[in-house]
Amino acid sequence: MKHQKWFVLASVVLVASVLLGACGPAPTPTAAPTQAPATQAPAATQAPAAAPTAAATTAASNPDTIIIGTTDKVASLDSADAYAIRDWEVLYNISEGLIRWVPGTTNLEPGLATDLGTISPDGLTYTFTLKDGIKFGDGTPLTATVYAAQLNRLLTIGPKCPNDVADSLAVPYVQSITAPDDKTIVFKLKSKIAFFPQILAGAPYVASDPNIFKADACNLFPTAPIYGVGPWYVSQYNPDEQMVFEPNPYYTGDMKPQVKQVIVRFFSDPNTMALAVQSGEIDVAWRLLSPDQLTQLKNVSSLKIGTINGGRIQFLVLNHTMKPFDDPNVDKAIASAIDRNAIADTVYGGQVSPLYSQVPPGFLGASQSFDTMYSAPNLDQAKKYLEASGYSATNPLKIEMWYPPEHYGASTAAWMQVIKTQLEATGEIQVTLQAQEWSTYVPALTGGKAYGAGVLGWFFDYPDPSNYLDPFVYNRGEGTNVTIPATGSDTGTPINDKAKQLVALLQQADTETDQTKRAELYKQAQDIYADLVVTVPIFFSAEHVVYQNYISGMSSIASPDTLNIGPNILFNYSVLSKKSQ
Amino acid sequence: MAKTKERPSEALPEGATWEVELKRIGFVRRILTARHWYGADWWFVTISTVAVVVFIIIALFPGLFAPYSPDALVGPSFLAPGASVDLPVLIVPQSSTVNKLQDLAVPESADRPTVAVEQGLPTAGALNEESQKIDEVIKNQPGGLRLRPIIDRYASLEETLQAVVDGKDKAAVVQTTEFNKVKAQFPTLREAAPVSGTAATAGGFLMGTNDIGQDVFSRLLWGTRIALIIGFSSSIISLLLGVPLGLLAGFAGGTFDRLLSLLMDSLYAFPGLILAIAITAVLGPSMFNIIVAISVLYIPTYYRIVRGQTLSVKEEVYIEAARSIGARQLEILRRYIFPNVIPSVAIIFSVNVADAILTGAGLSFLGLGLPPTLADWGIDVARGQRFIQTAWWMITFPGLAIMLVVLAFTLMGEGLMEIFNPKLRER
Amino acid sequence: MSPIAIIALIIGIPSLLLLAYVFVRGSTGLRRYILTRIVLTLPMIFILATMVFFILRILPGDPVSSALGPKGTPEMIQSIRTQLGLNDPLIVQYGRFLWSMVTLRFGNSLVGGHRPIVDEMSERFPATLELIVPASILALLVGVYGGALAAAKRKRALDFSLRIYSVVIYSLPIFWFGLVLQLFFGVRLRWLPISGRIDAVIGTSLKTITNIYSLDALLTGNWPAFFSVLQHLILPTLTLGLILSGVFVRMTRINVIETMQADYIAAARARGIRERVLIYGHALKNAMIPVITLIGLQVAILLAGAVLTETVFSWPGMGSYLVERISARDYTAVQSVITVFAMLVALISLAVDVIYSLVDPRVRY
Repeated sequence: MKHQKWFVLASVVLVASVLLGACGPAPTPTAAPTQAPATQAPAATQAPAAAPTAAATTAASNPDTIIIGTTDKVASLDSADAYAIRDWEVLYNISEGLIRWVPGTTNLEPGLATDLGTISPDGLTYTFTLKDGIKFGDGTPLTATVYAAQLNRLLTIGPKCPNDVADSLAVPYVQSITAPDDKTIVFKLKSKIAFFPQILAGAPYVASDPNIFKADACNLFPTAPIYGVGPWYVSQYNPDEQMVFEPNPYYTGDMKPQVKQVIVRFFSDPNTMALAVQSGEIDVAWRLLSPDQLTQLKNVSSLKIGTINGGRIQFLVLNHTMKPFDDPNVDKAIASAIDRNAIADTVYGGQVSPLYSQVPPGFLGASQSFDTMYSAPNLDQAKKYLEASGYSATNPLKIEMWYPPEHYGASTAAWMQVIKTQLEATGEIQVTLQAQEWSTYVPALTGGKAYGAGVLGWFFDYPDPSNYLDPFVYNRGEGTNVTIPATGSDTGTPINDKAKQLVALLQQADTETDQTKRAELYKQAQDIYADLVVTVPIFFSAEHVVYQNYISGMSSIASPDTLNIGPNILFNYSVLSKKSQ
Repeated sequence: MAKTKERPSEALPEGATWEVELKRIGFVRRILTARHWYGADWWFVTISTVAVVVFIIIALFPGLFAPYSPDALVGPSFLAPGASVDLPVLIVPQSSTVNKLQDLAVPESADRPTVAVEQGLPTAGALNEESQKIDEVIKNQPGGLRLRPIIDRYASLEETLQAVVDGKDKAAVVQTTEFNKVKAQFPTLREAAPVSGTAATAGGFLMGTNDIGQDVFSRLLWGTRIALIIGFSSSIISLLLGVPLGLLAGFAGGTFDRLLSLLMDSLYAFPGLILAIAITAVLGPSMFNIIVAISVLYIPTYYRIVRGQTLSVKEEVYIEAARSIGARQLEILRRYIFPNVIPSVAIIFSVNVADAILTGAGLSFLGLGLPPTLADWGIDVARGQRFIQTAWWMITFPGLAIMLVVLAFTLMGEGLMEIFNPKLRER
Repeated sequence: MSPIAIIALIIGIPSLLLLAYVFVRGSTGLRRYILTRIVLTLPMIFILATMVFFILRILPGDPVSSALGPKGTPEMIQSIRTQLGLNDPLIVQYGRFLWSMVTLRFGNSLVGGHRPIVDEMSERFPATLELIVPASILALLVGVYGGALAAAKRKRALDFSLRIYSVVIYSLPIFWFGLVLQLFFGVRLRWLPISGRIDAVIGTSLKTITNIYSLDALLTGNWPAFFSVLQHLILPTLTLGLILSGVFVRMTRINVIETMQADYIAAARARGIRERVLIYGHALKNAMIPVITLIGLQVAILLAGAVLTETVFSWPGMGSYLVERISARDYTAVQSVITVFAMLVALISLAVDVIYSLVDPRVRY
């Protein structure tokens, strides 16, 4: 017994000491073999004894590799399924569509097609001709037949895919896709859609590899290498850690990669990513740095910050069939009492801008309807509306406002707190703030039955005003309940005459191809939208890309300051180059 | 089996000789005398008791000590401890006729003036607030003038001023001292009147202000209440459930004891925070739910200790004696066994409160415990994490507060343990 | 072979050999004790797993609508729910869950790409292991040495300071401590990386076998990768290890002091053996026995601490995985993680109890 005891104890000690030898005495940073001469931090050359770690310098010292940090997660790499900005960014880099956005803008240019396509006089048929010599990263050539088959896969496979992008961006518009010969692709639409080319430029329509994305199943995470016909291919992918891009050897287009490798590194929170870009661990921080981190990074001299005037908006949803928001006076009182400037400046340090229409500035026909109508903050007017419905200081309006604590960034709670203070400043409103986790929150708010008022954010799927207005008016309107779904109707039954007018205007605008007339229709629609207070737009924010000063975009194309990321916030890695140190 | 898992530290006091000694003297002298016997531990207990009392007083009446309400927006965002705002001043081109903010007012129908500010400074708030104040007055006066400037936000002071030079903006509002530094570069600009407003004149916050201009010190004091409510309520609930269960299981034994012990051991062995995360995720964020989640975790702590002690006391000769003279079961439990477990329950309670506060803070930090607008330390640390480089005070003070409260309770438990544990006394 | 399987083999084979040895050489009582202990471990895991399953099913949130966001239509949500089996009766789901636990397959994730949980855990679990093993070793080293030192200098300034240290470090919120270290060493001094497991560029050259990066680097002889991993390990290990060390200091101190009052020590003292030798030679050795038990108990604190540490340092381990998936309402992932944690706790405490029963003759079988 005695013997046994010591045997065991000894073996425990042995195991412990072996582990200890392996992991215990971690070497000091100086012991690390910094394989390349430390060049980034000046401190490194002055005091080699306290040299920064390899980690702090590799990002700078490796001239052929660019590391991009992100807090987005990859959700799907199948173009027939993917419906998130990060996924689309990967798809745009590894592949291309018939037409594409000119980098840095929302203008269109031919991609795989020879031109922007021929449109039939009734606006229902689009015909494209493929360029010559297009090949996938593994050498397989792309023919119109293959392409059309993959696009038809998009139309049919949707319900089998979790994100089912086709349900929103293909099936409602496209009747059929055919390839009459090896060079021609023909789209037939269900109805005339003014903004179809913008949809067609989207990621669901890029050419996907038939060897990887087979006709019968969704393939969200194919094993690397993942090829497309674009400038890059995915050579390695460790979910939650990094995705490695290398140049596609068969790429013949004009967006040729300038470095040998791009690594996208995944961060779980923006704060760590901000620290990483500051310490030089990563070259570029792209999505999503919150305004808080930007304020901190603004003063770091080795960094550049590019601001992309984006279309990310935040607004309050009011449920027009629930008390007390079914009373137009209540809705208008809320719209009158909110001070958007105060929110932009106190909570976001001026990094976001006040928003006075659901369509953010820069889009076709964007107006300032909420400002002209309510000139908020106007407490006197708010009180007048409230008093017209019988509310007073002794009989205040009591409302509950819901918000998700994390989903739109931790600052949501802060600005809800500010809105509560503002509404209560009328003396006739009492606000109760309620936080609810995103997963519970979304169905409760957009289902249109549980919450009277809540916060929602939006970003366009295709750069067009219709994508900012239609979703909040048609079919229950994401919980606004301005229209109530009726069977067989795409728009639902409007709750009153004004809503009817709004629906009619929006439908007219969807098919109008004359841009000036369209803009006029949207202007009118926004005025009615503001009068109905369908939603209360609060602010819109720009996207920011933060990068080291030795990284640059392409100066020959639009917006090099933002690494050629345009309003559609798609990042083409081919524009990147790194100054040798 | 149970024996092997017992915490050695929580062994019970055996002899009670020191108690007998203590009973002979008065309360005050008892405390003073004890100092000689226990040295450092006496000081541990005394200091931590005083600290605990102070925290309880603050938690009971935070309003008396806190200068502001925890939710009120009392100043500009990110004001450092003790600092005050650099007075904002209106900057206009030399040629401009504007001398003060009110001069920017225009008739209702005219284009609204644009004013430049630098992002992230209190100047924007001052401009907004002051314009609204002026507008309120002039809109009812004859002439129909309104002052509703459009605020243009720029990334740096230079860009802000350049916008005025280029004529993009009518005027700018910038900080006086900062303007003086770059004055020479902008000869075509001049200073007009200062722009006041509470956002511009507030200052001297003891621990600074947070991201939306709430007073960190006030939130800290009000946070004491929440921390202590969570700590005490959950510990009391687990004590009220754990102690009787432990007594019963230890006393009754048999299948009941085995099943209960199995359940408790499973709960005890499992990482508390992880279970609490799951429970709070189910129940949703609220104070009550976080208390429920935490109290579930600590029931086994009481149960195990009390059961263990009951088991060993049960075998004592005097219990046998009581039983032999026909004392009822309940009587034995109440008169002989229960008093024996009180000292160790007191120690666990103290440490337990500390643990509960830490767990609560951990949950809030992960964003799982409490409504995110509440003045709670864990929430405030999580909030400060986002501003760790610009506003060190937002994270430092709430973090220290958690540490101090937890320290006070742990130290009290630690000192008591040392005092109560007769094995540790010098022979 | 999957990394999880390799790790299971690395740990499993020696433990099984050890257990077999003990079993063959041990007394009848010991054998019965070990058997009972093993039999008791299973219901413990079962209880926890069941509890977690039902707790998660009362959750009001829904993984499908959470993933789809405001753009999902009710029809889409229903069809995906049916596809994922979320519309089946609870008892069917429970049965499926138990079966997947028995077969250690865990099923597929409910969000994102619906990847098999086993695959996701193959990436996450080794990361956690890589963090908690050095952290425990650090805690043990600091704890045992500090505790013995404090006991040796009982009631002197050093003892006092070490006790203060143990209480203060125990009172620190671990997430706050991590943040402070991060700010100081990572951001201000720029000595150490503040997030991740390995440098991104070096990481591409590392061939993963077990997904324990330090081990993989050693196995493949990739020295730059090895040092990069070590650098990334320092701050998280310090955070977790130092916080844990507080309890060890306290326990070792108390145990050494208790042992020092034992009769055999008094006897040895009477024989004129020096105090130093007494403490480090005799008392510490015996005091270590209860400390072994403590290691078992600290597993809970260790794992809970790992959750917070991983969150602060963006460490892609099981803890951050859990937190991530809780908010996405990914039931399958959450219940699998918690079950794996339960298994881990149960196995370690089993191992500790077996070792304890071997080294401490006082234990009644």
